This record gives sequence, C-alpha cells and structure tokens, in this order.
Amino acid sequence: MSIERKDDHDHDAWIQEKDLTPVEQSFLTVLVWLDKRLRLVDYLELLETLYYRVNLQMPKSHTEQYNLDNKFWYWYPLYSLGFFSTVAYIVAAISGALLGFYYSPSAAAGSVDIEGATVAYSTVAAIMTDLNFGFFLRSLHRWAAQVMTAAVFLHMLRVYFTGAYKEPREVNWIIGIILLSLTMVFGYTGYLLPWDQLAYWAGQIGVEMSLSIPLIGEWVAQLMFGGFSLGQATLQRMYILHVFLLPFIVTTVIAIHLALVWMQGIAEPH
Amino acid sequence: MTDDNSDDTARTDGTGIVPPDDETPTWRERKERTTGLSRLTYEYFERSRREDQDLREESDYVERDVLAFPVWPHELIRNLALTSFFVGMIFFLSATLPPHLGAPANPSQTPAVILPDWYLYWSFGLLKLGPLNPDLAIIGGDKLLADRTYGVLANVVVVGFIAIVPFLNKGSARRPVEQPFWAAIGVMGVVFAVFISALSIKNLVPMDPHLLFDLTFLVPPLAGGMAYAILKTMREGYMYDLNRRYYKLRPPK
Ligand code: HEM
Repeated sequence: MSIERKDDHDHDAWIQEKDLTPVEQSFLTVLVWLDKRLRLVDYLELLETLYYRVNLQMPKSHTEQYNLDNKFWYWYPLYSLGFFSTVAYIVAAISGALLGFYYSPSAAAGSVDIEGATVAYSTVAAIMTDLNFGFFLRSLHRWAAQVMTAAVFLHMLRVYFTGAYKEPREVNWIIGIILLSLTMVFGYTGYLLPWDQLAYWAGQIGVEMSLSIPLIGEWVAQLMFGGFSLGQATLQRMYILHVFLLPFIVTTVIAIHLALVWMQGIAEPH
Repeated sequence: MTDDNSDDTARTDGTGIVPPDDETPTWRERKERTTGLSRLTYEYFERSRREDQDLREESDYVERDVLAFPVWPHELIRNLALTSFFVGMIFFLSATLPPHLGAPANPSQTPAVILPDWYLYWSFGLLKLGPLNPDLAIIGGDKLLADRTYGVLANVVVVGFIAIVPFLNKGSARRPVEQPFWAAIGVMGVVFAVFISALSIKNLVPMDPHLLFDLTFLVPPLAGGMAYAILKTMREGYMYDLNRRYYKLRPPK
C-alpha cells in the first residue's frame, strides 16, 4: 500500500485553492475530517436518493387513470385502520413503559390496608391513588390497548371486504393473523397483571385451556403459567411476556408487516 | 488496495488468509463458482429479471406497471390528518372512562362472573360448544374428545380457515359486489363472531341461553344469505346499466 497520497485526493490543498469564507472553510474541514473516518458520503447518497424518491411526481394509479374513485370512495376512511393500530400501539408502548417503572410483579403479601392484597395489586392501587397522573396513565394504557385491539379487528375486516389479501399479499395476510394473535396474547398477559379477582380467574381459565390442548397441554401450562396452579411464577411469567418478550416480537413483526405494505403498495379496488 | 500495487510480490498481509488482489475472485467469478442452493438462487434471479425486462418491453401500458397506491403520499397524507383526532379520542376516553380495579385475587372464593377481556369472548365462546361435541354410540356414548379439547380445536379450525382464505379465494375481484359469495362468507363470520361472543357471556345476556345457542347457529347463515342476495341484486343492477350503455353505443344489428 502506498503511503503517499495522490494529488487528486489532497483535499486540504483543494480547500486552500478555493476562496472560501471562514464559515465555509471550517464546514468543509469538519466534513472532510468526518468523512475520512465515517464515510459520510455513502449515507448522504442514500439520503439524497430517498429525498428524490419521496418527492417523485407519481404516475397515475390505475384508479386515477380510469377515474374509478366514484365507485368506492366510501371505503377510503377504513384504509386508515391499519395506521391507527400502529398509532395506538405506540401510545400503549409509551404509557406502558412508564407504568412498568411503578409496578412490581410480586405475589407476596402487599399493603396491609387492603384485605388480601398482593404487592402487585398494591402497586397498581398505588399507581392509581398516590402517583401524580398515575390514574390517567393507567387509564391511557388500558384504553390504548383496547382501541388497538378494536382497530386491528376492524383493519382485518377492511382487508377482507376490500379483497386486499389476494395475490400478491397473501404473506401479509398471514403475518396479520400472527399479529392479531399476538395482540390478543398481549392483552391477555396485561389483563392478569393487576392480580385482582378478574385477573386471577381469567388466569385460571388460561391454565385450564392450556391443559386441554392435546399431547402438549401440560408442557404448555408449565411453560406459560409456571405450573398448574396460579402463583408467583405465573405473575412473573406474565410480566416477562408482557413487558419484555412481546414488545420486541410485536414491534418486529409490525415492522415487517409495514415494510411489505410499503414494498407492495396499497391494493387498489378495481 | 489499488490495482497498481498488485505486481508488488512482497506479501504484507502476513497470514495469507486474505488473497492478494489479483487472486480475489470478481463477483462474476464467484457467481460462476457457486454450487447448490446459492447457484439456483442466482439463476432464478437472473431469469426473473429477464422476465421483467421482456414484459416491460412487450408492454403497451405506458402510464404505470404497478397495480397499487403508493403508500406515500396517497396513504400517509390522509392517515396523518386523521391521526390527531384518533389520539385525541384515546385521551378523551382515558380521561372520561377510567378503568376499574376489582377486589384482590382470592383463590378460595370463585366470583360469580369470570370474564376475559371482550376481544377474547369469541374464543371463550368456542370453548363452550360442548353440546355440539359428537358422542359415539360405539364407545358407549362417551365423547371422543373432552369438551374442552374440542373447544381448543374449534379455535384452531377457525383461525386456520381465516389464514388460508387467500389461497381459496383467488382472482382480481375486490369489492363485495364483485364477489357476493365471499362477501357473504365474511358477513356470516362477523355475525357468528358477535353471537358466539354473546354466548360466552350468556349468564349476563338477558335471553334464554338455549334460544341464544340456537340463534348462534341460525342467524349467521341467514345474514350471509341476505348479504348474498343483496349483493347479487346490486351486481345485476350494475351489469344492467353497463349493458344498456354498451348497446346504446353499439346497437345490435
Ligand atoms: C398489530 C396489528 C396490525 C398493524 C399495526 C397493521 C398495520 C397495517 C398498515 C398500516 C397497513 C397499511 C394499509 C392500511 O392502513 O390499511 C396494513 C395493511 C395490510 N394489513 Fe395490516 N396491520 C395489523 C394487523 C393485520 C391483520 C390482523 C391482518 C389480517 C389478517 C392484516 C393484513 C393486512 C394486509 C393484507 C394489508 C395490505 C392491504 C392493502 O394492501 O390494501 N394486518 N397493515
């Protein structure tokens, strides 16, 4: 490797021979310094391409070309439902991350003021009564989750009734079904966390359902609920699923789902 | 690593793991050398690119050869406009209808009402299809599957059916009027979901549970049939208009 630099690449000399203001000169110097180390140029190129793509004058779509809007404009607002699912997911993720700091998944005996309360229950009660804006935070998380689930169901119906699942979008339909299931598991694991009567007995149903799966039932119950009767292990697992595993998985799958939509475009009615 | 020092015989890379520049295979060479699956992949890519190219050359479709709305700007502009209302709605709901926190868990006291969240009602309802579980006379009227196993299987069947819809319904039809049959299936599914959800909370529904059970299986096909009839009629109407316009322009000789 030759150590001498070629003249072509002597950027300092190039900067000197240009007649630059101090601002321009220091900008260029910093830019060159960074670029030598980080290859900024490559990324600038990517950004540039992105910029032109985004601002491209779009050719007419099938719909515009044949002026078909009058046939199905009334469907269009429903095309927002997928995006709404995403937005509600983000709201739930942010409020949930905050709640996670104040909640602790422990089935040990909690606050003495409340008859039979566990620590988990007491922390939820504390969030609602002691924490500033805590009541609202829990409410927000609850509603964002409810609305997300509703939006996902309705989004699925929109996709079904506009026939948007057909070739070439079968893969996205199946990914969607996975997302729908994951969303429901998300909701279920969250439902158990306050460890009140509803949560406990919903958990009981969960254990019974797992046990009635043929062949692998007991194994599933052990894995998901940490045993055949509910307790600390159950709560711990639900917490791990709800705030650690599922967020990563669901975020990734949503990202894939959206990437496919971006690549394939929105199915047009005919 | 410029080309001009390739004749320099002194190897400075020491290990010899990195081949000198003149031995580094080009991409083309690598491609030709590969075998097995990667070779097949390359070959397929080349074919499919060639196919695209041929199609493009044959095509007289000047405007555009993508049959979809681009996500930007068509989709996103509208969605972003509606999003603030949507987030506002979530905040409004949270502020006005705060959630409930029931009594603490008590394993020794089963409450009168056990409920999952509303979006699981349909699945919960499918667990309660015990009365439909066939019992075989051969094994003395015993049920082949436990009722609960039957319910879990019912869930698998429903979700499985939804998953394979794209492979059952093909073609380019999209709007319900274009495919009355599949739209009717959809309506039937939605109505069934509503009834089976109601069935899962039958002790809270002010209706005779037996009647509700029967309705769960009678109403959905009825609703589906009605949807089918309506859409079919609408389609005939469209066809009538189209035909009339056609024959006005080109009267039959
Ligand atoms: C967490 C759940 C989900 C999220 C965040 C999500 C998000 C989205 C978004 C933003 C779009 C763009 C078009 C639109 O907004 O309507 C889309 C399209 C689509 N989604 Fe989903 N979705 C979810 C669940 C589902 C489910 C449950 C299904 C079906 C089983 C599904 C199937 C599809 C299909 C096939 C498309 C392409 C539609 C077209 O091209 O018109 N998705 N999704």
